Amino acid sequence: MKTGERIRVRVAFGLLGIVPVFLTGWLGWVQVAQAGELRREGGAPLRLVPATADRQAWREERVPTPRGTIVDRDGSLLAIDRETYDVRATLAVPASEGKRVEALRAWIDAVANDFARALVADPGFSSRGDMLRERQAEFRKLLHGALRTAELPAQGEVPAAHPRFTDVRIAGGVDSLAVIEALRAVGAARSSVTMHFLRTFRRDYPEREATAGLVGHVKTDWVSDPATQVQRLETWGVCGLEALAALTPADADARPFLRDGRGNAYFVGPLQPLPVPNVLHSTIDIELQREADRLLGEEAEAVSHNGESTRPAWGALVLVEMATGDVLAATSWLRDRKSKVGQAFAPYQSLYEPGSIVKPLVLAYALEAGRLDWNHEFDCAPGSADYRERIGSLGSRVVRDDHACGVLSAHGILVNSSNIGATYVGLQLEREQWQDYMRFFGFGRSLGLALPHEALGGPNKRSFDGDIPLRSFRRNSAISFSFGYEMQVNALQMARAYLRLYRGGDAELRLCRGVEIGGQWHAAPPARSGGARLRPEVVDAVHAALVDVVSDDPHATGTHLHRRFLTDTGVDLHGVVAGKTGTAASRIGIRGRGRVEVRNASFVGVLPAEAPRWLVVCVLQKDDDARFYGGSYAAPPAVRLLLRCQELEQRRPRHEEPQRSTNGQVRAAQGSPGVSGWGY
Amino acid sequence: MRWLLAGLLFALAVALAIGTVAIRAGNAALRFRVENSYHAIQDRIVELRRLSLEQAQAAVPESLARSMWAHVRAEAQRRLESLQ
Repeated sequence: MKTGERIRVRVAFGLLGIVPVFLTGWLGWVQVAQAGELRREGGAPLRLVPATADRQAWREERVPTPRGTIVDRDGSLLAIDRETYDVRATLAVPASEGKRVEALRAWIDAVANDFARALVADPGFSSRGDMLRERQAEFRKLLHGALRTAELPAQGEVPAAHPRFTDVRIAGGVDSLAVIEALRAVGAARSSVTMHFLRTFRRDYPEREATAGLVGHVKTDWVSDPATQVQRLETWGVCGLEALAALTPADADARPFLRDGRGNAYFVGPLQPLPVPNVLHSTIDIELQREADRLLGEEAEAVSHNGESTRPAWGALVLVEMATGDVLAATSWLRDRKSKVGQAFAPYQSLYEPGSIVKPLVLAYALEAGRLDWNHEFDCAPGSADYRERIGSLGSRVVRDDHACGVLSAHGILVNSSNIGATYVGLQLEREQWQDYMRFFGFGRSLGLALPHEALGGPNKRSFDGDIPLRSFRRNSAISFSFGYEMQVNALQMARAYLRLYRGGDAELRLCRGVEIGGQWHAAPPARSGGARLRPEVVDAVHAALVDVVSDDPHATGTHLHRRFLTDTGVDLHGVVAGKTGTAASRIGIRGRGRVEVRNASFVGVLPAEAPRWLVVCVLQKDDDARFYGGSYAAPPAVRLLLRCQELEQRRPRHEEPQRSTNGQVRAAQGSPGVSGWGY
Repeated sequence: MRWLLAGLLFALAVALAIGTVAIRAGNAALRFRVENSYHAIQDRIVELRRLSLEQAQAAVPESLARSMWAHVRAEAQRRLESLQ
């Protein structure tokens, strides 16, 4: 090797040797000279500790937790969390576009157009042209506002201090693949735009119209953390099943990702299992619920078909399984309301004077209390000696029957629905017994189902005032209570009262059968037992009368119903359905109309008559004085629903309570597990 | 000889450096593809949920009845037009 070559090689290797010397010097500078922390321009010093290294090496993706799933008694979805994206974009104006105002504005318009086109990318959208124009205008306003172009002159240089970086929310609840892919393409095509797709959930109600009143709804709003005063979006259940604690989501989880030195996430980082949503099993049978909805609507609309009558103001139809108190269906009909969502829900929000359907309850209570001899015969003729002695002697109040009744036993009083006969029995009860009657059957008491704006009703506020003389109470309240006046109920309360007639004073309705939390099945507390019950012979006597109400006896109030079904369907309801009709005329205050006369047609029925399993209550209220009877209008949809219930029971396998965990999945639809309780 | 070894070692170092960079670049490209696949799968799950609900709602009796009547009306209209 020549001397010159040797020198060149030594220089080359010398230069190479400088590299480790430099690295060693740099390491000494960082680790020794600046030991402890690293000063940063415009930021707090960076502490050189392992936690800092970990923090810089990991990135977290926020994983919101779902509220949970609500299913009907057979696993059909009533409410579910559906994954969507909340899309944000980080915009950094490219250096070439950020020099001149004209170029900056043009760049912003182009980006706004890209976003607008992406959001209308789904070919399934209607009026895409109009949507595109609206979106373009929205995004231009948003982006120009975010980059404060209004502060810039029409043309010229962009000041160096003008912001060239912003973060904006593009859209929420994005769930269409075409739109998502178009938005991702915007990020891929423009290096100056970084798209962020934040996972979130949207609450969906597949059977919203049919179940709005029972399932309830959620509300999302900004709330302030009392400790930090930081505002955050929170969703909570306002009412109905949504308000139950089992559906309160846990705090949002976080899923870590490794990230490299440039801050890019490694998507091969360890993934944590996503949270399993809770599943709330309701008592609702969606098939019966839809049927109830249809039957009630058809009946209410049919009322106006005779040309002289108007449609009812509202109606309610309730179906209950008697062994458990499960509400299988509860539906509402409101005149001139196209959608049920956000409207009053008649089964527990609309009060009415029940009229004659309380007579079986009154007679059952009197019989249980020893104030009635079931075989005693009462002369129910208006001018009879019995009438003069028992009612006429109290004053001038007149009690009338819809049709003339003669001598009737307690059984006959119920079959004929005699107001005079019921009054004879009611007058046998003391004031305290009437109070106990109200308490036993739950009138004026909450259903305890956390339902929104539940109307409690009950007897008039002054009915039991101690300063009302006993004679006055007997002449007014006791007589009115005997055939369902001077008190108000809702349809579900009436269903509970009849449930208590058959099952005892502790019987309650229920809407929730149980919940699956973390994959574990927790049954709802069983219905209480051991409370006061009517004696079996009392229940049997009343029930026998209810069976004969729906018969071909010309004086029975259910004879019209019996005849109609026999003619229309060939079904002889006598001995199949037991029930009681009710018709009441009341004066109530209606906003804008003052006090108007309304008529309440109601029906309560059970099936099968020989061993009742299902209980139905139907009520329709008309706000005019047209003839409107429970047996003619409220009974047909109620009985059809009972028959439909029996038909479904025979067709479907008997429903059973889940015995083991289903791991949070919707049981009815088997398939690959989803991340939010989806079974498909 | 020792210069030859030094040169070979230098070449090896350069080759290792190039190889390392190539592998890292390959990893980065693979990560990018994995990331895109991950996003694509997540996006399709979102789409699947939406379509599942839409289809479930379209399968309720009321919707099926509406759909059937629409088909019946369309068919009746078609036959009427073919008669004229």
